[in-house]
Amino acid sequence: MTMEFISDDQRDALQEVANIGMGQAGASIARVLGEFVELSVPRISTVDAAGIPAALAALAGDGVASAVRQAFIGELRGEAIAIFSEHSAHDLAELLAYGDALDAPAGCELLLDIGNVLVGACLGGIAGLLRTEIGFSAPSLLADQVATSDLIQAETIAARCALLVEVRFGLEKRVFRCHLVMLMPEDALAALRRALDRFIEEF
Amino acid sequence: MSVSVLVVDNSPMARKMLVRALPPDWDITITQASSGAEALLHYRQGKVDVMFLDLTMPEMDGYQVLEALRREDLNCLVIVVSADIQEAAQARVLAMGAISFIKKPVDPERIRAVLKEYGLLV
Repeated sequence: MTMEFISDDQRDALQEVANIGMGQAGASIARVLGEFVELSVPRISTVDAAGIPAALAALAGDGVASAVRQAFIGELRGEAIAIFSEHSAHDLAELLAYGDALDAPAGCELLLDIGNVLVGACLGGIAGLLRTEIGFSAPSLLADQVATSDLIQAETIAARCALLVEVRFGLEKRVFRCHLVMLMPEDALAALRRALDRFIEEF
Repeated sequence: MSVSVLVVDNSPMARKMLVRALPPDWDITITQASSGAEALLHYRQGKVDVMFLDLTMPEMDGYQVLEALRREDLNCLVIVVSADIQEAAQARVLAMGAISFIKKPVDPERIRAVLKEYGLLV
């Protein structure tokens, strides 16, 4: 299924804007965790609603993961989903000196907190570059240690299709991995295209 | 004589943003490369005086380019231009031979200051 959601120029601009947002988010958690954060080139794709669960599974890889979800509202609107690889909470607990006190609720709290930092910094950075305001809902746990193919249920997705922007964070000496995905529904893309066009015109 | 500048970034948008931020009064010839491998090809032809190098690129990233340049005597001035603004990233590239680190989105005044510091601009 081919969907011409955005032009090549808009895609290129979005990728660079996401790259800068990712850099700001990476620096934020590097400061919190005191570790070097590895970044990778943002990826942009279009998926129909039924394909979203499979798309998330494909980028998260096989195995078990947890996910935190946060809606964003404003001129740019959609959902941010932070997907954490299996032992990420454990790594975070060690780095933040929780010691052995990490029970399951505390592990979830950690993912919610770190997800919130990543989403706020990354999407906040993107919105700032695109000169628009963005607001966030409180983060909620979408999935707790489930197979990556079960992170999200297709029937809970309201949009017919969506634009998917993915950035990745890893820690050099640890298993911690977080894929941050922005899902923007089809009917929110006109505003995104306008914002990107404004940005492109500045240069 | 005009200075040969190579702008290395996988994103055409990022290259455009950087080129726009270069001082208009700087006498330069600009070449662009969209990958680390392409950057090394230009470098090996001996036509690069100043390289503006991105870090986060697919396949060969900026760190790998810096490493290759160091193995090949590093005959040009490398200014890293990156969205990866971690202090550790900045320290790493400086240790690998880059003369300076400029964060994205690039600030034209910051570029001017770095160029002046190294006598590339009066």
